Amino acid sequence: MTLHWRGLGSGLVVVTLAAGSAAAQQVDPRLERLDSVTRPIVAALVDSARATALPTEPLVQRALEGATKRAAADRIVAAVRRLALDLGHARDALGPTTSPPELAAAAAALRAGAPPAILTELRRLRRESLTVPLAVLTDLVASGVPVDSAAAAVLSLAAKSRDTDLVEFRRAVERDIALGAPPASATAAAAAVTAAAVQVNAGARQQRPGRP
Amino acid sequence: MFEADEELVGRVVRHLRRPVTVDSALDERVMEQIAHLPAHRGGGTARAAWRWLTRARTVRLSPLGALAIAAAFVVVALSRPDRFYRAAPASAREFGFVVVAPRAATVSLVGDFNDWDAARTPMQRARRDASVWTAVIPLTPGRYRYAFLVDGVSWVADPAAPVARDDEFGTPSSVVTVGGS
Repeated sequence: MTLHWRGLGSGLVVVTLAAGSAAAQQVDPRLERLDSVTRPIVAALVDSARATALPTEPLVQRALEGATKRAAADRIVAAVRRLALDLGHARDALGPTTSPPELAAAAAALRAGAPPAILTELRRLRRESLTVPLAVLTDLVASGVPVDSAAAAVLSLAAKSRDTDLVEFRRAVERDIALGAPPASATAAAAAVTAAAVQVNAGARQQRPGRP
Repeated sequence: MFEADEELVGRVVRHLRRPVTVDSALDERVMEQIAHLPAHRGGGTARAAWRWLTRARTVRLSPLGALAIAAAFVVVALSRPDRFYRAAPASAREFGFVVVAPRAATVSLVGDFNDWDAARTPMQRARRDASVWTAVIPLTPGRYRYAFLVDGVSWVADPAAPVARDDEFGTPSSVVTVGGS
């Protein structure tokens, strides 16, 4: 049996392209939870982010958070718009190949007051994902640590520390602050301890015999 | 197209009607072959259909036609209704959440990981202490904002987790960060 697709193929292309365009324009069904005023504005913001290759999921989640918390329409729109701007600034600082989780963490760090240059420096120093270092930086600032102190500590640990080391570092700082230590001092002390531990662990890993 | 030649036709007919000498053992050999064939079990139509379905065919496509078919597959994949929802990939790890709410009738874990849907992750009372509520969910590496919703009305941040600083809706939220190394 021989099928000739020349005419049929042309028709299919037209139909397919039209359907593809319609699919791209389709509004995320989760946004149905927003009221009729908020939904089209948020959908437009999401479409705009998608058109510039920014991650859209954080924007959808921020809008859904607002809807679930029964926030006013203008607050939801403002929050989504602000997050979209932060994501764009984060990408400017970290580069176009940055992963969506990294961009979301970087946007939060920027919102916490971290300068974009810190993000760029962090990217230069660390080969692994920046999600946890950026989150630790943000969380430290939220705990009352000055941005400069938090950034210096994270930068000093970023190159050689694993994610688990950084999370442990953050816990140590929070514990010391809860015990009454000044935030900047607690951060510097915990960073020194973590750096020493990372150094020891790295040495131990190097001395471990390899597989035959 | 050709015209019929009566003489030629007559010769062909005579040739076909001439007696043919057949080997006397032919009948036996034929019957023996038939006896070795598998028994007929009916389903002639089904067998014919199967043969039709399994017979190899040559399909000729223009490049445009092939492109159209490929594009159609892409559109079908993109138009799946669940394409907006994130499936938990293999790198997901389980995380436990705990909150103390002695007088609560219901507590929900709500956050970026479940579309802030209060019905998605109801927390369970701990067996040993009814005032403690727990939930365990898989999380992939990333940073998630969340909160506990008590009795459907009160938002409570996780006292054991960092506070979400970028909270713009006037109620407390917490942050959990899942690393990969």
